[in-house]
Amino acid sequence: MAVTLEVSDLNKSFGGIHAVKDCSFGVEDGSITSLIGPNGAGKTTVFNLINHVIRPDSGTVRFEGRDVTGKMPHRLTRLGIGRTFQVTRTLGDMTVLENMVVGSSGTGVRSMFGSRMLDHEVERAMELLEFVGIAEYAYTNAEALSYGQRKLLEFSAVLMSGPQIVLLDEPAGGVNPSLLTRMVARIRELNANGLTFFIVEHNMDLVMDISDSVIVMAHGEVLLHGSPDDVQSDRRVLDAYLGKV
Amino acid sequence: MIEDRADAGGLEPEVVEAVAAPKGPGRSRWGVVAVLLVGLLLLPLSRPFIDSYNYTVLLATNGLMWIALASSWNILGGYSGYISLGHAVFLGVGGYVAAVPLFYYGVSPFLTALAGGLAAVALGLVAGLITLRTRGPAFIISTIALLFMFLLIFENIDYLGGTAGLPLPVVPISRDWLKAPFFYAMLIAAVGSIVLSYQVAHSKFGLGLRAIAEDETKAEVAGVPTRFYKIIAFALSAFWVGVAGAMWGYSLAFVRPTLFFTVAISAQMVLMAIIGGRGTVAGPVIGAVLIVAVNEFSLTQFGSSEINILISGVLLVTVLLFFPLGIVGTLREKRLLPAFLDWD
Ligand SMILES: Nc1ncnc2c1ncn2[C@@H]1O[C@H](COP(=O)(O)OP(=O)(O)O)[C@@H](O)[C@H]1O
Ligand SMILES: [Mg+2]
Repeated sequence: MAVTLEVSDLNKSFGGIHAVKDCSFGVEDGSITSLIGPNGAGKTTVFNLINHVIRPDSGTVRFEGRDVTGKMPHRLTRLGIGRTFQVTRTLGDMTVLENMVVGSSGTGVRSMFGSRMLDHEVERAMELLEFVGIAEYAYTNAEALSYGQRKLLEFSAVLMSGPQIVLLDEPAGGVNPSLLTRMVARIRELNANGLTFFIVEHNMDLVMDISDSVIVMAHGEVLLHGSPDDVQSDRRVLDAYLGKV
Repeated sequence: MIEDRADAGGLEPEVVEAVAAPKGPGRSRWGVVAVLLVGLLLLPLSRPFIDSYNYTVLLATNGLMWIALASSWNILGGYSGYISLGHAVFLGVGGYVAAVPLFYYGVSPFLTALAGGLAAVALGLVAGLITLRTRGPAFIISTIALLFMFLLIFENIDYLGGTAGLPLPVVPISRDWLKAPFFYAMLIAAVGSIVLSYQVAHSKFGLGLRAIAEDETKAEVAGVPTRFYKIIAFALSAFWVGVAGAMWGYSLAFVRPTLFFTVAISAQMVLMAIIGGRGTVAGPVIGAVLIVAVNEFSLTQFGSSEINILISGVLLVTVLLFFPLGIVGTLREKRLLPAFLDWD
């Protein structure tokens, strides 16, 4: 299988903390790949480096064979890298529907000063909102949604741009079991249709269940990259979680 | 919080029966707006019927100018949340772009006002490119720096008259009707800036700006070209300020660096937008009318400009105590906003 997203020798320090250290790995096209590791391992920072919310100190990010290091996040979104946040960042003052269409703002006069919501965008947004089951809230302000519903909103909004790969930062965190079941079903469905997922997640049952491939990080470094079975039987992983590395 | 009702259906998404978009306000608001507009259009013709004709028209002209300034400022400061205290530079640039051809070549500012607006836009692009590398307090300070830089530059160019500025000839028409052309020019600037503000508020660009105000990183990751949008907002918010500046200097028959390049003028725009409702279309209009009225009242009552500032401060605190989102913002949140003011 081809590698769609590849990071090489990524480094990032915050003051004295070397949050990400010489990280290299690839995410295979069409896979569900998970990134796990104890709190503070550097997983969110890796996401931030991939879509350039944070500038890496060194290293490269390649997407579909192209070097995309240093491209602005909105460009990466256009290129097909979608991303959600660990702590949901919905735009609370806006309606659910506005949250869905806000990303499709271009730089041409037509797309900037045309209607706030084009018919085909609304149609697509409503389809996606129905897909995750929150369409009835389309005209509600996002701040009125529950935390789990906001996670679903972020999840469906990220699909609006038609991404090739979706980075999900702890999609299950704080989501009640029934919403979670629904989200997992949607992930599987989209993956079956070819969408690649790269997921940071703490729920190990979930990770082992849905992943084709698992990357383990600790202290900013990649410890291991293998199948769920490899990871589960590796002593170092347990040690990392117990803080023995 | 809305309950996770959608859970009930388990994995199958519930069939959603036609979620209808809420209807916008009806035609009534356009009726009120049309009546207001016709009234304003006729005002300069009321000379034979009003005693205090000059005073009334002057006051209205002033009000219209501040509506234009506050509405324009709101495009950047209200929608995108970037507070500029430097917007007075655009007033000055517009003022001088019109004053110089008039002073040296006798070209009427009514012909060059547009150029004043475009010069302000060009400056807005450059200033935005530089100052928008910062945000928050650093951005505010960089816009103030811009203002002082222009004050310094304009005070030191002899061609522009230095600190004394340039005296300008009066409009060559009958004294009786002297006020009318400025009134109509400012009316155009006010209506133009409201239309621009409305256009932005109802565009994808405006939606992007609102996203920037709420969470810039989120907006960028969602796909909004944030930097580009902010710079365009800065430039657009300069246009009608430049046009108004061209008219204002001419109406006063002089231009001078300290007339335009002051934080006080910028601060007044901010104050009006905040009191009326930052980030709403009608807010800055209401704020401008209110502040101009209050200033006028205290001027006629107390005559002093220090008391003016005190009253403005008290007004700001009082309004924000009861209307934390500004008058229009809070009324809308409480669903008490009359339809003719709901332009968002
Ligand atoms: N913006 C930041 N500024 C300073 N330190 C940060 C920042 N982001 C992350 N860190 C630090 O980097 C380390 C890795 O954090 P993070 O990537 O959030 O870990 P994870 O997502 O694996 O829990 C932590 O020690 C964290 O405190
Ligand atoms: Mg994290």
